[in-house]
Formats: sequence, C-alpha cells, structure tokens
Amino acid sequence: MTSRKYDVVIVGSGASGGAVAYTLCKAGYKVAVLEKGRLIKRDEFSKDELAYARRDIVTPNLFEEYHTIEEKVEGKWVATPTYDSGWSFWNGNIVGGSSNLMSGMLHRMHPDDFRLKSKYGEIKGANIVDWPISYEEMEPYYALAEELVGITGKYEKHLYEPPRSTPDFPQPPTKENVVVKLIDKSCKALDIVPLVTPRAVLSQDKGHRNACYYSNFCGSYGCSSGAKGSSREALLKPALATGNLTLMSNTYVKYLHAGKKDEVEYAVVVDTVTGKEQKISAKIFVVAAQAHESARLLLNSSNKHHPHGLANSSGELGKNLIFSAGGSGQGELHKESLKHIKFEDLMTTGLFVNRSILDWYFIDHWWDGTFKGGSVEFMFEHQNIISRANKNNEEDGKLVWGKALGERLVERFIQSKSIRFEIFNDWLPNDDCFVSLDETHKDKYGMPVGKLRVEAHPQDGKVGKYIAKKCEKVLEEMGAKNIYSSISSAPPQNLVAGGCRFGDDPKTSVLNKYCQSHDVSNLFVADASFMPTGGSVPYTWTIYANAFRVGDHIVEQLSKG
Amino acid sequence: MKRRKFLILGSVFGLSSSLLGKKNNNVVFSKSLKSVEKTIQSVQQHLFPEGSKIPSARSMNVTQFLLETITHPSYDKDIRLFVIEGAEELESREEGKFTVLSEKEKERALRSYEETHYGSNWLSRIMTLTMEGMFSDPIYGSNVKEAGWKALGSYGGLPRPTTRYIKL
Repeated sequence: MTSRKYDVVIVGSGASGGAVAYTLCKAGYKVAVLEKGRLIKRDEFSKDELAYARRDIVTPNLFEEYHTIEEKVEGKWVATPTYDSGWSFWNGNIVGGSSNLMSGMLHRMHPDDFRLKSKYGEIKGANIVDWPISYEEMEPYYALAEELVGITGKYEKHLYEPPRSTPDFPQPPTKENVVVKLIDKSCKALDIVPLVTPRAVLSQDKGHRNACYYSNFCGSYGCSSGAKGSSREALLKPALATGNLTLMSNTYVKYLHAGKKDEVEYAVVVDTVTGKEQKISAKIFVVAAQAHESARLLLNSSNKHHPHGLANSSGELGKNLIFSAGGSGQGELHKESLKHIKFEDLMTTGLFVNRSILDWYFIDHWWDGTFKGGSVEFMFEHQNIISRANKNNEEDGKLVWGKALGERLVERFIQSKSIRFEIFNDWLPNDDCFVSLDETHKDKYGMPVGKLRVEAHPQDGKVGKYIAKKCEKVLEEMGAKNIYSSISSAPPQNLVAGGCRFGDDPKTSVLNKYCQSHDVSNLFVADASFMPTGGSVPYTWTIYANAFRVGDHIVEQLSKG
Repeated sequence: MKRRKFLILGSVFGLSSSLLGKKNNNVVFSKSLKSVEKTIQSVQQHLFPEGSKIPSARSMNVTQFLLETITHPSYDKDIRLFVIEGAEELESREEGKFTVLSEKEKERALRSYEETHYGSNWLSRIMTLTMEGMFSDPIYGSNVKEAGWKALGSYGGLPRPTTRYIKL
C-alpha cells in the first residue's frame, strides 16, 4: 500500500467531477480524479456502432459488475440482477463519463422547479420538498457552464424560459436540418411556440476544441472534434494543463475510510488492470460517481463510526432516487407525402433538429387543471444503421425475411425519415424508488452491488401521456405517418439523480446546501445525487452548474485553511 | 423476466447440462460451434437470399462474422450458448437434415420453428447477428465493400474504427 496526499480527491470524472476538478485546479489546488474506466482520447474515438452502441465496451461487463433491480411482480418486490435481465444501469465508464456520449440537448431548470412544493403543494405518495437554494443562486453557475462547457443556442423570450444574466448564448446554434422549418410551421399552425434547443455542441472553434463536423452520429458516441461539451474536453483537459490534476483512470474506489467520526482520511482503491490496492489520502473528498453509485459508495463505507453508511445519520442516504419521467414518440415523413420542404434536403445527414417546446412546462388550464408539466425535444430517430434495420424486421408478430425484408428495409431507409419527440417530466420522488446495498450480490472487487427499487409515481405517467397527445398532434400537422408514442414507468437509466438529498435540516437530508455532508465535514457529493426534485428537463446543465457552485465553495473552504 | 428462463422457455430440451458445463471449456465449446456452423450458415442464407434488394448472406461473410462475434469476450456468454443450442434444436426437429432441405422445405421448417417461443427467439437472434455483420463497419469482416450500407443509402460515420471493439 502507498499513500499520496492531495488537497482534494474526486471520485468520478464525469460532468460533476470534471467541473469540481476544473475549479480547484484553476485555483491552484492539487487534485486527484479517480476514474474506474479507461481513458479514450479524442483521436481514438470512432463511430463504431457495434462497439459503442451494441456491446458493453465503454461500460462494465454485467457478469462482473452489475446492479439488482427491484420491481413489483404480482404484489411482491422481486430483485433481478442486471446480468440476468441485460438491463444495464451503467452509463459511460470512461474518463469524462457519460458526458462523452450525451446528445447534449440541455435546458436550465425553471425558478419554480426550485420551489415545487411551495408552488404546487404536496402530492399524495410523493416526497416533494423545496430546494434549500433558489434559481437566483444557481443562475451565475448556469451562465458559467454555458461559457466553459460551450452550450450553443439562441435565446428567445418565453413564458417558461428561465431568466438569464447574459443576453444570449456564447455561440450561435449548430446548423439545422430543413425539417425545423416544417416543425416551426406546424407548431405555429397549432399555436405552439417552438424554441431553439440549447446544445452542448460547439458551432464554432473554441480554444483547443474544434467546431462540430456534423458526423450524423453524435449521441452514444465520443466526439472526434472536441465540439461536444464533455467533461473530458471542456474541463479535464484545461485542468490537466494547470499541472495540478492527477488523473487516475482504471481506478476503482472500494470505499472511503473515516477513521474519525467527522473526517474521511483516505479512499481504498483498486487498479483495475493490475488488481493492486492502495490508499489515497486528501484533505477533502468529493464523490461524483453518478447518483446511485455515489450512494452505494457511501453505504459501502460504513464502519463503527458510521454503522449505516457514511453521511447517513439521517437515514436518508440512497432514498428518493429519481429518474426522468416521460417517454417518446415517433412518426415517419415519407417522400411522396412530404409538404413544404424538399425530400432531398430532409435526407441531408448530420444536421441537428434544434427544436424544443416549453409551452407545457406548467399547465394551468380551465379544463385540464393546474399541474406541473414537462419539456419536449425533437430529433431524428437515431441514425444507427444496425438498430434501425433491426427495428424493421417484424410484421404482425412474425419476422420478415427473404426478399420481402430487402424490399422493406430499402423502402424504409431510402423513401422516408423518422422524426421523434422525447418528453421530460418530473419523476416524483417516492418511498419506492431508492438504492440500497444488495445483501448477497457482490461485484468482482468483492463489494456489495447497488440494489435499485425503481417504482414510479402514477402522476408521472399521467403528465407524460398528456404531453404525448399534444406532440402527436404536431407530428400529424407535419404530415407524418405511422405516429405512435410510448409513455413508460420504466426508468431511463441514463437520467438518474437523487439519493443524497441536500437540505437545511440534517435530520431529513444527507447534504447541506453546498452539497457537503451534514455529518462529515470534509466530504462532498457533487453529482446529481443532491437533487430533491429533478425538474422537467435533462439534468446535465444543472449537474455542471451545481458542481461549479460546489467547487467554488470548496475553494473558499480551502482558502480559509 | 430473467434471461436464462426467457431463453429456454419452450425449448424441448432446455439449456443442456452438457453445454452449460462447457462454459469454461473453450475447446469443447469450439467443437460444439463447429458442429452447428453449417446449420447456422444455411439459416442465414435462407433469411438473406440472393436476388434481394439487400446483399445476400452468401456474399457478406456473415457466418464467419457470427462465429467471431459470439466467441468474442464482449458477447453475452448465455446468448452464445443459446445460439448453439437453438441450432441443435432446429436440426433435432428436422432430423439432422435442415441443411439439405429444399428452399420451400426450409421455409416450412423455419416458420414452424418460429411458432415456438424458443424458436422465435432463436431466429430473431440469428437475424440480429446477421444484420450486425451486414451493417457494421467492414473492419469486422462482413459488410464487404460497404455493400450493406450502399443498399440502404446509409453510411457509418467518421472517423471509422481502425480496430475492432475499440482495442486501443
């Protein structure tokens, strides 16, 4: 065993870990980032569908590292290991984490998302609370993330567009497919206001990062120009350039050791290549391993001082895990029935569909009622060729094969293009959505795996269906065919938060308003775990912003000695 | 539903203990795979025949792709066994003569096999594996001269992989 001393050790190199590392390194502090996965550099990424989208190459092999997922079956909770179901809850275990693989459609949360309980009151069966901070406190960090991560877009005033401290985005939107004209026209006809989607993809060069080259394969893949605002490109590279960052890839953290009641002394880590174990000590520890894994790490760090897990005097650790509720829908734009735009322009590849709808973020309708709604993103169906082909090989429950399959695929690929919408609404925190430690299952490092109970609140589906009907009308107006939508209570495993709620009361929350443990003063949790409610937008911008805020607080604390 | 239960549901024999016992024995596993290679090839050629608007199995080296794919460490070991077992079961149903049946008889045999839950899953798996070859980057040995991409007018993005499975 060896020991090295850092000012701060950060567990995880994704969006939040990168933002904290950047802030601390720029302020002159010595930081170690521990990342379980390997480093894949910009010039090593490719658009290899088989490797990135169809195999567990950038996530752990499920037979070695997995979760157990608890679902209610005939009234009883049944836990199934993910190696048995194939339902992976890992997201991009490489340096930079899942921010390497995101599509980058981002929104700020609305000011009312910070005070959901005050605004809408309680909902039976849901554990809604107000945040201990306001939008105004987060706003400067949303602006900072916009600049540093490189979020591009075009500000348009809208009832539900949060206020900004800067007039517009630092760069204009990425180039758009002509389909946006059809979306805009159709929305206008339905009295809906389409907005340009802010996107964490550069439209122009920025420092060491080059502008988007419109590869047609953005989400699920690493970026080969540096345009995508991943933690690796936007934050870890500049942090490394300060000389203050030690980036330790292939480093799995087994647990944090708190020899004293109120202080973490070191992390016990394993080199995933050599199997060698060592202790890494620091003044401050920041956990940023993605929501359910951060809670798992703290639960696995229990000892005589913390018998129920580190930072868990409240008993709230792992509770109120949230995902993003909603679902998606799709329709086909066919060559022979396309209106207003040219088919060959529609088929131009690589350009973005930067359109969102916020009109239904809050519903206040004489007939429908008053309730929290959600946001909508439009996009083309993912351009992965194997998955698109494989989706079109069935009819009436039977496989289509032979020449009929050839006819069908060529028609589908060459004569039409699918347009999609995705709905994001609040996954209401509830008593049946949490992470704990599995009593029997352990990963290949001998540590208990996370057991996730993933029940959704019934309100989530009602809101999703309400919005899906409206989105289907947009697709109808666009002239799309074979329209369908699917609102599911199944959790999207790439949109996860909660489990280490922040709050002012140590009895009901794990972290204080700076995402610092109420119990252990040199322990912070910087990822989406802190979120008591999730808003109705993808979490990434808020994760970046909050981690910059946490980083600033740690700098302040360190500067005071 | 648990994967293993799902895979064996409806099987006449179930996942055989002999094959399950071979999990860690690559030599025996390779022999088992070799013994069903012709059956799998024959099924692939029936699903993706000559004269279609997409390339044929015969022209795209898809059997070699399938064999290399399921033996790669990144491939699910349960599904690897299922691919072999499913082929053995098809041959069992057809008294070991599937590969020499006429096209019409093969169609009958496969549609009949598809009527079973197990057979339907297996055929779906063979089709998926075949499509993975046809439409993945040619570096994996299939999609010869990008013929699969050309047929669909859709091409893999840039940069293209220079190694299989991101081997850095």
